[in-house]
Amino acid sequence: MRTLEMDIRGQVCPSSLLLVLREINRQHRDLMVGHLCMVVLTDNRDATGTIPEAVRNMGIDAVVEKVDGYYRITTQQQKH
Amino acid sequence: MNFSVWIVVSGLLVIGIAAGFLMHRSDFCMAGAFRDVFLFKSYKLIRPLVLLITLSALLFELFHLTGVLPSYPFRWFSPPAGVNIFGGVVFGLGMVLAGGCVVGVLYKMGSGNLMALVAFIGLLVGSALYAEIHTWWISLAKQTNFSTSAVTLPQWIGVSPIIPVLAVVAIGGFFCWRWQQAGLWVDKNEAEGFIPLWLTATGLAALGGLTVLLSGIPMGVTTSYAKGAALVESWIVPGHLATLPYFTTMPGHHTLPLDGILRSGGAGAHFDIVAIVQVPLILGIIGGAWLSAQLLGEFRIIWKVPFNQIAMVFTGGVIMALGARMSPGCNVWHLWGGLPLLTMQSLLFVVGLVPGAWLGGKVLQRVLVPGAPLKRLNS
Repeated sequence: MRTLEMDIRGQVCPSSLLLVLREINRQHRDLMVGHLCMVVLTDNRDATGTIPEAVRNMGIDAVVEKVDGYYRITTQQQKH
Repeated sequence: MNFSVWIVVSGLLVIGIAAGFLMHRSDFCMAGAFRDVFLFKSYKLIRPLVLLITLSALLFELFHLTGVLPSYPFRWFSPPAGVNIFGGVVFGLGMVLAGGCVVGVLYKMGSGNLMALVAFIGLLVGSALYAEIHTWWISLAKQTNFSTSAVTLPQWIGVSPIIPVLAVVAIGGFFCWRWQQAGLWVDKNEAEGFIPLWLTATGLAALGGLTVLLSGIPMGVTTSYAKGAALVESWIVPGHLATLPYFTTMPGHHTLPLDGILRSGGAGAHFDIVAIVQVPLILGIIGGAWLSAQLLGEFRIIWKVPFNQIAMVFTGGVIMALGARMSPGCNVWHLWGGLPLLTMQSLLFVVGLVPGAWLGGKVLQRVLVPGAPLKRLNS
């Protein structure tokens, strides 16, 4: 499985969600079948709600963890 | 400063700290509220804004009916003009590009966000630019005046404010109740220490009410950005500053409820009535957000940010300041202070703000994700 890490800390709002949506659109199939795991590093508190909600709406699960003052959002293949 | 000024300044500082704390915990972004409707078809941030306006309308009308407001409508609102719409468009475009409105920039800056500092500098530069065109703009504004005396919609149509204001409260309350029934007030935010948006909206309405009781006018901050610009110009180009009427006149007059003394103020770098009612709020919001971020261990300054974003945010700050001065007034002043009273300036400002935010969303998308399949982004 490939891992794509996106460090969006410090960027303007709402670049976190826009950049994640762009990558999901580009690599949707790999994410869905579990060939790709996306890891998003963000300090945008709102993104801890918007990113998981957006990816779940597209059939992919997401886990949010707080790490050293910022948030790490990891996509996971949704269990059927 | 006399004792009553100390009370007002201290009270507004505490109100600002509480507001900054709440805004940071909930990421209560008013720029995002309008932007996300167009960009993501999301109404999540618009709902608490409707709640805030509805509660403020109820609170201000109660103050009005019980006679505690020193002036009704609030001072510094004027009869409407066509330029109010144009100012709203410009402001809406600017706030989306800046990544936050005039208070959003403050709470984000308080939490260590470097981009918000860039937007703040843009706001100072935009205020300085407006000072150069102020005389021309005021003459244009006078030519587009709709009314010579009526400030609010009820005044214009010649009815008591209680019926139209209560109608607004009823409509806003109905929508808030329907959202409650549909479970739409449940936030999915997973940030540590998150405060639900409805709770922050309620808290901000209460803080707005306290601001009115203490200072006699609703929250506003943008003239003090102009004061900041005037202060910088006084160090760099004092001779030029002296030639600018925007910075050298004091057209605003206001009486603090505590002492009844009529004071004057303007955009110049003086500690006048504008500074008394605005600067403590600015410092408080920054301080409250800083406190919240420190308690959560989230205060971080990230220096490595894309240059195109810095350029966009700075430009957004400049445009937002121009819009705030052209309107005149910012989103906080109009949405949180004027709209609850149905002032026509604020209604026209919102008419312009919506297409401005739409336009901002289009530009933002092209700067942040150039070449992306735009239609699929919203899927």
